[in-house]
Amino acid sequence: MQANPVQEPTARYGEVFDRGYAHYEGQRRGRRGAITSLIGYSMKRAMGIRKSWTAKVMPFILYVAATIPLIVMIGVLAVFRSMGDLAEFGSFVSYSAYYGAIFSMVGLFVAICAPEMICVDRHERTLPLYFSRAINRGDYVLAKIVAMTLLAMTMTALPAALLWLGRQLTEPKARQAMVDNFPDLIRVLILGLLTSLMFGTIGLMISSLTNRKGVAIAIILIGFMVVTGISQGLSITLDEYSWSRWFLLGDLNTLVTSLSNHFFHDVNNNQFVEHLNLGRTECILVILGYALVASLILRWRYAPRDDV
Amino acid sequence: MSTEVTGSRNGCTDGRCYTADMPQNWGERMQDSGRITDMSDATSASTARNAVIETQNFTKRYGNFTALDKVNLSIPPSSVGLLGANGAGKSTLIRSLLGIIKPTSGSANVVGFDTKSQGIKVREHVGYMPEADALPMGTTAADFVGHMAEMSGLPPRQARQRAADVLQQVGLGEERYRLINGFSTGMRQRVKLAQAIVHDPKLVFLDEPTAGMDPQGRDDMLELVQRIHKKMGISVVFSSHILEDIELVCDYVVILDHGRVLASQSLEQTDLNLGEVVVQLDGDYEPFQRALEGHGVSASQQEDPTTGQNTLIVDVHDERMYDVIRDVAVEQHVVIRKLRSRSRSLEDLYLGSVYASGQEVEHAS
Repeated sequence: MQANPVQEPTARYGEVFDRGYAHYEGQRRGRRGAITSLIGYSMKRAMGIRKSWTAKVMPFILYVAATIPLIVMIGVLAVFRSMGDLAEFGSFVSYSAYYGAIFSMVGLFVAICAPEMICVDRHERTLPLYFSRAINRGDYVLAKIVAMTLLAMTMTALPAALLWLGRQLTEPKARQAMVDNFPDLIRVLILGLLTSLMFGTIGLMISSLTNRKGVAIAIILIGFMVVTGISQGLSITLDEYSWSRWFLLGDLNTLVTSLSNHFFHDVNNNQFVEHLNLGRTECILVILGYALVASLILRWRYAPRDDV
Repeated sequence: MSTEVTGSRNGCTDGRCYTADMPQNWGERMQDSGRITDMSDATSASTARNAVIETQNFTKRYGNFTALDKVNLSIPPSSVGLLGANGAGKSTLIRSLLGIIKPTSGSANVVGFDTKSQGIKVREHVGYMPEADALPMGTTAADFVGHMAEMSGLPPRQARQRAADVLQQVGLGEERYRLINGFSTGMRQRVKLAQAIVHDPKLVFLDEPTAGMDPQGRDDMLELVQRIHKKMGISVVFSSHILEDIELVCDYVVILDHGRVLASQSLEQTDLNLGEVVVQLDGDYEPFQRALEGHGVSASQQEDPTTGQNTLIVDVHDERMYDVIRDVAVEQHVVIRKLRSRSRSLEDLYLGSVYASGQEVEHAS
């Protein structure tokens, strides 16, 4: 039998071919795809992903700082529940206590991430490129709000959901506890969503007023502190007048704690919450009102102008 | 004459691709590799049908200032030079055609979509390279161009692939994973160009793409622009106030002045060719000129105003004259160093249009 002759390869190994320019024949996802992409890209940039390590430092530190109270609380729960002596520590390991503990960290997180999402596009003049794509100005603002809210939720709702899980797992009958306390998880997530939406939109709105990231960070931080201080100071000074409670609407911490108290009934001896004395629906409406006003100002900042 | 494409709506014909969301008559609108329409043959009706840009009384006002004044255009798929002085309305026209800013009155249709009601569709199929710096410094070229592809609707994986391909096409294949802040001006312009074509647009607006570039970078950019039109088959609108750049890369010109269109025509149609060729020789001009005249070709010697060298201006009325010049050179044992057609410059056309417009204004007042 005659063996088949070995054929010479027609192309050499390692040969470089110039494929030239190829036209795109695939799917185009249009506006929805563009908005999704902008949300993801904004979140990545704010977290410093695919940027130098210095951009990742602050978000990383804040995540660690937000996790410490969570670990401590779950640890305390585990230890004292095994000792059967949890009653004393009930308020210490509450959801409201957790939100209170991380409140300033959420503020700092928003102060760092919101300017990164907004100011950089203005400062580096990338807006004309975005507005020449498959989105309109409203879509750009919407994508930024969603991105900031989702990112802030990783500081609020996500750790609080882990606290919920920790609380259930330290129960003697964990599975039954999860079923029984499932509504708490929903409340935890709603509280996290509302807090993140309010903080996020306010942070973005302030950031949209300047092109400078550093200036925006300073205004957000100082603004939160000053407004909270003034609100609390005025409500204390004028506490003999019933209307002085309205000053506390400027204190976002008290607002969130009030709503948290309505959800979980776990706030004791908080003079500001007691003085504000706002119902659950009112709390939600005020929070949504803040988010709405901030969103409208943000949208106005992106109205068509000559520069973009 | 141009070739009409009557391909299916979801597929590729003659190297161009169509998707279901494109207008029914888009196949008729596109031409083979975006080559210029032979305007002398085309009727006005077919011009309108083939146009990548069509505007009717397109006007944009900012308060009392009229940035665009009743602009009427019908531009075929080609490499279009948008010419005008600073403040003539070039950038406003581009941004209006992209649907970024709304016109005060009138309408515009770009690649088959209405800019007012289908702005997003227009931008999905059109690319834009702004004049100003518009790049995020702290990100890599591949990341940013990929993101821009996604912003035009491409899925993530395809966007990354296209970003790599297009950066290769603009000469940044090796540098694509470097941060943009380490790039030179020329490289940044290339990144801007890459993001404008990454989603395979039908038309790309380039707003002063050579601004601020050194001569070598400028030449490279002009070559790239030519490739985009001639090799990639993408129609180009090239905005510039540098006549030479437009003359080099464009086959159609729109001249704007104070928001008004002074001229909109194919450069072939402008009759820039004066029917003369300039010949530069290595050798004696006298016997060469006499030999040409002996063949019935009229020629005269002239000094080149820019180089100061002697040249021969030869009347060329038909293509056979080139053969005569070649044969005479062989007979005379003379080397032809340069042979180019002598044309009226775009500058003449531009200045003529602006002058005529000025006269009209004076008349009116």
